[in-house]
Amino acid sequence: MTSTRSPLAADRGALNASAAYPDTASDSFIRRAGRSFIISLYGALRAIKLYPVENIAVQKALEETASHGRELVGSEGELEVRVSGEFIFLNATRLRLDLDNYASFSHLLSIFRATGVGSLHIAANATAKDWLILLSLLQASGTGQDSPAARYDLLLGKLQSAGVTSFTLGPPNDDDGADREQAKERAKRTYSQSVAVTKDLMHSVRMGKTPSIKKIKRVVQGIVDQILNEETSLIGLTAIRDYDEYTFTHSVNVCIFSVAIGKRLGLTKLQLYDLGMSALFHDIGKSRVPTEVLNKTSSLTDDEWRLIAAHPWLGVLALFQLRGAQELPYRAMVVAHEHHMKIDLTGYPRPMRPRQMSMFSKIVAIADSFDAATSRRVYQTTPLNPAQVMQEMRDNARRGMDPVLVKAFVNLTGIYPVGTLVVLDTFEFGIVHAVNPIQDMLSRPIVRIVSDTQGNLLYPGTLVDLADRNADGVFQRTIIKTENPDRYGIRVGDYFV
Amino acid sequence: MKAARAHQLYLPNNPIYKGAIDSVRAAFAPVWSQTEELELAFSETEILWNAHPVLSEEGKSSDSLPWLFYKDGVRELTIVKGFENEELVKLLDILQRVRKASPDEDDLLTLLWEADFLTLRYRYVDLAMEPAAPLADGGEIQQAPPSEIQQATSAAVEESRAQGVVNIQDFDSTLYFLDEPEIAYLQEEVRREYLVDLRNNVLAILLDIFEQQADAKVRVEALEHFETMMVHMLAAGHFRGVAYLLREAQVAAERSRDLQPEHQRRLSDLAAKVSTPEALGQLLQALDEAVELPPTEELGELFLQFRPTALATVFSWLTRLQNARLRPLLEAAAGRLASASTSELVRLVGASERDVATEAIRRCGALKAQAAVAALGKVLTNTNAALRLLAVQSLTEIGSPGALQALERAVEDADREVRIAAVRAFSSRSYRPVLVRLESMVKGKSIREADLTEKMAFFEGYGALCGDAGIEFLDSLLNGKGFLGRREDGELRACAAMALGRIATIKATESLRKATSEKDVVVRNAVNKALRGVGA
Repeated sequence: MTSTRSPLAADRGALNASAAYPDTASDSFIRRAGRSFIISLYGALRAIKLYPVENIAVQKALEETASHGRELVGSEGELEVRVSGEFIFLNATRLRLDLDNYASFSHLLSIFRATGVGSLHIAANATAKDWLILLSLLQASGTGQDSPAARYDLLLGKLQSAGVTSFTLGPPNDDDGADREQAKERAKRTYSQSVAVTKDLMHSVRMGKTPSIKKIKRVVQGIVDQILNEETSLIGLTAIRDYDEYTFTHSVNVCIFSVAIGKRLGLTKLQLYDLGMSALFHDIGKSRVPTEVLNKTSSLTDDEWRLIAAHPWLGVLALFQLRGAQELPYRAMVVAHEHHMKIDLTGYPRPMRPRQMSMFSKIVAIADSFDAATSRRVYQTTPLNPAQVMQEMRDNARRGMDPVLVKAFVNLTGIYPVGTLVVLDTFEFGIVHAVNPIQDMLSRPIVRIVSDTQGNLLYPGTLVDLADRNADGVFQRTIIKTENPDRYGIRVGDYFV
Repeated sequence: MKAARAHQLYLPNNPIYKGAIDSVRAAFAPVWSQTEELELAFSETEILWNAHPVLSEEGKSSDSLPWLFYKDGVRELTIVKGFENEELVKLLDILQRVRKASPDEDDLLTLLWEADFLTLRYRYVDLAMEPAAPLADGGEIQQAPPSEIQQATSAAVEESRAQGVVNIQDFDSTLYFLDEPEIAYLQEEVRREYLVDLRNNVLAILLDIFEQQADAKVRVEALEHFETMMVHMLAAGHFRGVAYLLREAQVAAERSRDLQPEHQRRLSDLAAKVSTPEALGQLLQALDEAVELPPTEELGELFLQFRPTALATVFSWLTRLQNARLRPLLEAAAGRLASASTSELVRLVGASERDVATEAIRRCGALKAQAAVAALGKVLTNTNAALRLLAVQSLTEIGSPGALQALERAVEDADREVRIAAVRAFSSRSYRPVLVRLESMVKGKSIREADLTEKMAFFEGYGALCGDAGIEFLDSLLNGKGFLGRREDGELRACAAMALGRIATIKATESLRKATSEKDVVVRNAVNKALRGVGA
């Protein structure tokens, strides 16, 4: 081991953001108090929306918000709420998203985005009345025909007219763009390394060798870090459907989707790591299936199908090969075995002993089905449309997916998943680039326009937010249909690398 | 450096350790007066702060702090205020683990990642990773002409305009919001995910594979994993898992199609292996010495799986067990095994290890094991009197004609206790075939040299079996006068009185009454007692 080997993470951007997601037990005061503060803010916003101002529920919610704010200013010296990308920061600390608070986080992000607010500085003397004015204005300014920037200016003016001085608003941080570019680069590096390591893993197992568990761990750690810090770029890369490397990209994609769903469900960093490891290994049994069967383009004989259908249990046996692990990867074995079982256990293999499907297996099953159906493979040269796949998973109970987890998956990917080719009512083709961060805009993703109204293909195209409205308050662009990119010679992956 | 060494050498409550940690904490104070963040860089032999070496160590061993970081790829640590109070010890723990780690274990990078520090960041070069080629969609693809694309978009727009509406379900985001019960369900699922016993789960999977796949190679592979997992689970104290494996291995042996005899044998051997003296001895020793025992029901499940071959070891440990909580469990296991496998129990009656033989003899009696009679009879020839006595007691408990027949020779045993126990057994069981032997003994000379207790036992035994036929002899002892009117020894007369009391017929009572005014206190008391016994 020498320092002459490739320094892959030598830039400052690779500084590990290990402080970002501690588990609850080790949460600092600001994280705990911050979460309570955000939840109280959300409660106050809802109360204001539902009841008249004099209602006791409104008063109580505002008092609670003011009190939480004072407590934080008292302990931290100052209090600033800042939104950046998909995250909320309190002073310099990023708050952790989990199942209990994701609705409140999402709502607050939406409202800040809609009003063009990037940061909110709160003074120690902010009263319940001040909060009432601010929150009412935020609520009212979120809709309209003008741009978020114009709404922000309007909001500032109104706040000033109302004589509220305990809050200082700021616009979104301009550095976000540069950060996003860096994140994108890191995501590409993580993705390509993950594919390379997965390839190495599968080959090692096929040759009967013991794969390097350290590399695999590092890859999953990288994916977890990426998903926790900036998931959009990495999820975007799952749209690359490398025909030749399908087996390996598929495993990496399933890992990425699974970790991202896990994040939505509020799993801790170490739980995400467990989930990611299990997901990356889910198809390891295929390395024990003859390649000529795996790559057969014509229809499979019964015996060949039996070999393919054996990969879940073959995976369990293959995972016993990982002797380098301090402890055998039992959780990954369970997931490898169960990922085709379906929630009613009618899939394969059929268990003989009583069993309740693991939650991680259910998550991986969704990620696996989605990626497999939307990818081009030797025996599936025309992949299914991601939106249709999503709909099928949602509506067809025989697919055996957990409906609640499918919902969580749709929350992650949007109704039109990343990589979907869509036809817009503006006679343009677009490729879904990212889910809209505004929670109730799941059907209006961020889209890259890839053809103009004359039918000319564009590269790299331009990003547009389908939630944007024109001066009349009408959405500027709306998806009317999804299309098969292969039919028009559009290589979706090109728009993500 | 001193703190790292102290962490390595001393326990946390050691004053030297505390002193070292306190010194490090104090040393951070002047740093924080100068800077918000402390950035340390690592070379192979040095730690640098602002490009100035603050620690140099020439060696490249796990004792060298710079090398410890450098070798795993860490090139920079950034420490922020509060680290010394909140996370210093956590870092020292990690360094200690890395120092001792084998090449298979997690490296520093993984441990730092898992520790999820709040006040420490690190920059690293990943030495394990190769540079990877960027990916792109592969395959040849023919771009459609603009006219085709234009036609497609126009047709789609016109179609949607003609329909006037779109499928509202696809656009209703609220359909995808998780409601409270769904969130509760997911939370419960997350909780369950980490409550489930993974090893048992994997065992169940392996057992399913074994049963469903008739391929010999697959079965051999599964068998190897069973064997390895069993050892690991035993070592880890995961007894419920071992019990589950042994139980389900039996099920698998019964249900598996086309099971080869060799595979069947290996499945059965799993339980047999745990029951071998070596394996079981290790287990019981570990449990006996354990500060905290596993849950009782978990141990109970395991003990249920012991095979008869475990019996000797279990018996042996019953006598030396120190742990009071373990004893009832082992007692129960011994009882179950003994009653389930009489042949093994009988075999152990003749065990060379005395504790084992003792326990086996005792349990043969408790179980009234008829099959043990011959073995117990053999014990009566053993040189150890305590064992012979136990054998007498067991044969008595068995109480069958065969057992009592085997016991006959014991009335002439060299040991007094054995003789007494034997004769009392015959008396209580009214075993008449021994009467001739008893009569010759009570009429013989040797009984006169015995102590009162033994004499009494033999005479009472004789009285219980002889009936009226013995009265003449006994009456002559109690009431008869010899040469010059001399009477027999008082103790012997008292014994005869008690024997007559056992006969308890009218004739015997009459004989006793004749002695009611006896002057010898011992005799008189015996007579009165015997008369009370017959209700006279």
